[in-house]
Amino acid sequence: MSEQTTLLLTFARRGEESEIARARDHLRQQFPTAQLVALGTPVTESVLRHLDLEHIIIYGGAQGARQAVREARSHQLTAAAIVYCEPGFFAHLKLEAFALLSGAHKFYRISPEQPIKTIGRLRLACSVLAKSFAAGTRLLAGFFICLIACFYLRLAQLLAGGRRVSRA
Amino acid sequence: MQASLILINYNGRDLLETSVPAALAAARRAGGHTVIVADDHSSDDSIEFLCNQHPEVRVLALPKLGFGGVCNTAVEAAETEAVVLLNNDVVVTPDFLPPLLDDLTPPDVFAVGCKFLNPDGSLTNALGNRTSGEWRGGLLQIHHETRPELLKETCPQLYANGGGMAFRRKSWLDLGGFDHLFQPFYWEDVDIGYRAWARGWRVLYEPASVVYHNQGSTISGKVYRPAQVELLSAKNAILFAWKNLLDARMFRRVMLAQARWAADDILIGGLPNRTKALWRAFRQLRQAARARAGEQRLRLRSDEAIIALSAGGAS
Repeated sequence: MSEQTTLLLTFARRGEESEIARARDHLRQQFPTAQLVALGTPVTESVLRHLDLEHIIIYGGAQGARQAVREARSHQLTAAAIVYCEPGFFAHLKLEAFALLSGAHKFYRISPEQPIKTIGRLRLACSVLAKSFAAGTRLLAGFFICLIACFYLRLAQLLAGGRRVSRA
Repeated sequence: MQASLILINYNGRDLLETSVPAALAAARRAGGHTVIVADDHSSDDSIEFLCNQHPEVRVLALPKLGFGGVCNTAVEAAETEAVVLLNNDVVVTPDFLPPLLDDLTPPDVFAVGCKFLNPDGSLTNALGNRTSGEWRGGLLQIHHETRPELLKETCPQLYANGGGMAFRRKSWLDLGGFDHLFQPFYWEDVDIGYRAWARGWRVLYEPASVVYHNQGSTISGKVYRPAQVELLSAKNAILFAWKNLLDARMFRRVMLAQARWAADDILIGGLPNRTKALWRAFRQLRQAARARAGEQRLRLRSDEAIIALSAGGAS
């Protein structure tokens, strides 16, 4: 068994195989003797099965996030490559958080039509924090918009004559 | 009953080449009705084309008012008892008018909608045929019938598509026409249909009145990008709920569902633009509240009854 193991993280879907293949090739090139493990979702599984990988961790379905992280950490990872294909703010946040928690020492960022970049642990942590903060703010903003709207609209209705609507 | 056929136009000179002759032929065949083209300040040569090629058409060259504003101004300018609103991408069939006018005879009928077909004669997938609705997921979900066997009889529907609808001018004016809340476009026809039901009128679907609709060739294709159209439509769907849903229990449920959108968008990837649309709608909150208060004063039917009656059921 090889001493090194690398991790490929993706929520990419069908039609985005080329980016996953690019990430795989990059990890194989950087760590020629390393085993390659991928972390994906049940949706990604069919795509990952065709990529000649040593092991696949499926997150979602029966496997919870904590269990997936534990399994990834058990491989004592050398590097992790994040594939940013899947559009979606929270998908990117989850991938970055997984990478950070996986225990890998080196991180790569693979975005469509962009050169592969190395990203430091601190920068990745900052990105996770910033995204979490933005997600929380959005959540609160949405909630308060609806709360204010609900209160204001009900008030307008009550001032205009309350529950006078007939059931006829 | 005399009618004015009003075509709403914005930079649609190429569309007018087919829609105006068809409207003129139908108006003549049904007995000398009027054809009006209301132009929303086009920058193409629509007006020159009409003046040169169809001098019998009454042209209303208006300043930029948006779809609802143009419709309201044109209906006010019409001098007939009945009015038929048509999009400039709608081509009417020669006999489309008499069934619409017959259906408008009972005084409790506010509007009658046409049967919309694609230019190739197939049933359109766009909203328009025998519309109905249900309050679900934070919005009024609109349905339209696509089974041909259920589109053979005149029947109630939630609203008549603004691209091909007939109504009495007086009823329209009583309802205040299309609401400016929904500027620049979309949901104003749903709104006026819902309000008509709420105030005790009915809206009908008339399958004998056939029109061909080249869906999307007006607004989305020429003036706005598809993403903008989607955002405007989502914003107006929210405003529609804020304005019209007066039942306290249903309203709480809808608002709770809307509050969950932001979480859905973040956690599982909701519909694009939904949270952005919520913010856009919020910027019109005062306007929506005023409209809601106005509705409260005039309403005769509950939201539940509107949905049931417009689907052809009992309240």
